[in-house]
Amino acid sequence: MALDLQMPVLVVDDYKTMIRIIRNLLKQLGFEDIDDAADGTEALEKMKQRRYGLVISDWNMEPMTGYELLKQVRADGSLSKTPFIMVTAESKTENVIAAKKAGVNNYIVKPFNAQTLKGKIEAVFSD
Amino acid sequence: MDTIERLDLMAKIKQENVAQIIDFLEQNKTRDGEVSLNDVMHLAEVMSGSMHDFLSTVQPAVTEELTAIAKEITRMKQEISALRANDMTGNKIPDAGRELDAIVEATENATNTIMEAAEEIMAADPSDSEAYQDLVSNKMIGIFEACTFQDITGQRISKVVETLRFIDERVTSFIEQLRIPASFEAEIEETDEERRKRELILHGPQHSGEGVSQNDIDALLGDSQADIDKLFD
Repeated sequence: MALDLQMPVLVVDDYKTMIRIIRNLLKQLGFEDIDDAADGTEALEKMKQRRYGLVISDWNMEPMTGYELLKQVRADGSLSKTPFIMVTAESKTENVIAAKKAGVNNYIVKPFNAQTLKGKIEAVFSD
Repeated sequence: MDTIERLDLMAKIKQENVAQIIDFLEQNKTRDGEVSLNDVMHLAEVMSGSMHDFLSTVQPAVTEELTAIAKEITRMKQEISALRANDMTGNKIPDAGRELDAIVEATENATNTIMEAAEEIMAADPSDSEAYQDLVSNKMIGIFEACTFQDITGQRISKVVETLRFIDERVTSFIEQLRIPASFEAEIEETDEERRKRELILHGPQHSGEGVSQNDIDALLGDSQADIDKLFD
């Protein structure tokens, strides 16, 4: 799958400031079509209405966490192939392993920098 | 004192005791079952104190025991008083909560100010170099000003730490004075919120050196599924 800067990207985080930071970083990287959601439930609704080329999601949100969102996305035939990057402060080994088992494409631990975000997005689309 | 005199004294004391206890209960009957530890202690004092005269004539050893109990009750009252529980729940803890709310607000405001400045710089047209330089200079000053939040939040955090230390010292002293063994501690039942956190692997941010680094994560993600499965065996 090639990296297309025109593809819509969905940023999921319950912290507005983090959405704003990721939006700005994505814009700097050249992405133009950026949408956002405040938790997994809202993200899933948006994903059912629009096909996103990439989902960047936080883990710790209510009512639906990023981990639950990832599992639901992978279990849904029409969404299961969507590239999914977890961006989170959850940095325990069991979180990373659980995310990998659930089918995450990459995992970024907060705080992170623009270079890390760029590198992980490129890695997802070069696989 | 012969047997008849003892019985007379016992009857007299009993009447006085009962009268004192009835007075106490009468005074507190309108309190809708709200009985504090202080009330229980007061009642215990009345009962043990009222029996003092009678028992001192009957059994000095029992009197000593009751005196010791009365002293222990007095000491516990002093400890409870030193705990300053009302000050904690009425002032210290709510104040700490307000300080933390103010910290969240101040950091959020500062972050927004800094991001707005950065966004305006990013969106500015650099073709007019003089106007661009002015804009960047102004926004940089705005960023420096916003960073002054750190001084104020530092002071607020110190106040919260002071409150936590106050509570820690008093609760620790109280537990030591009551000589409560660890085996007396009630078993903690998992709440719905705790169960959710456990099932959804919600640990929150880790302290420096506790979580895995981005390099560790990259290495984990590079492992084959079989290698990861081995970690669960």
